[in-house]
Amino acid sequence: MVSDQELRHHVYTATVELGRPPFSGQVAAALGVSPSEVLEGFRRLRERRLLYLAPDTGEVVMAPPFAAAPTPFLVMVNARSYFANCVWDAYGIAAALHSDASIEASCGCCGLPMPLAVENGQPVATPGIAHFAVPAAHWWDDLPYT
Amino acid sequence: MLLFRSEEHVDRWCATRHLPKRPLVTLEQLWELAVAWYSNRLTPEARRPVGDEIHEIFDRLGLTDPFWRI
Repeated sequence: MVSDQELRHHVYTATVELGRPPFSGQVAAALGVSPSEVLEGFRRLRERRLLYLAPDTGEVVMAPPFAAAPTPFLVMVNARSYFANCVWDAYGIAAALHSDASIEASCGCCGLPMPLAVENGQPVATPGIAHFAVPAAHWWDDLPYT
Repeated sequence: MLLFRSEEHVDRWCATRHLPKRPLVTLEQLWELAVAWYSNRLTPEARRPVGDEIHEIFDRLGLTDPFWRI
């Protein structure tokens, strides 16, 4: 039996190592438990809004701020690269890793590249603005859209 | 949530999708949100902010519009 805390921490440790959230089979092998037990744990962590899962497979789609699939926000940090779920999460990866970062991003309107960076623990001043389309109370109603 | 070159691009994006324009967030505010939300996310005891903790973060950053109430 693996605790939710142990499971969550392993997911994040593996994500940093792998570059994306691990599959349930990888977690099961690493922790010495069954894949079904891992998927059950994933569901509990989803209920606590700590992971976001694919509705069909139950695998991790988002271990915020990390994304499992490519997105428009690619974060390069410590000679590794990670996809972020949004621009907030792109900064979030630098914050989580406590590291400088280079971020590939683009304008949501016109698609023009808008590179961002974090240096010495602060964002490099860059023109730009963020817009949340969904009120905070409803972010988790449809997290991929948010 | 998306990144835009300017407020004009936000306006254009909202108009073409018939979506309401929401409060804007500067990149400095966004960085502070990221630090508040994620700086301990890789620790064993990590958890996301909840309830009033979230409101305290928003208030500290000047995000006081009802849009930010949970």
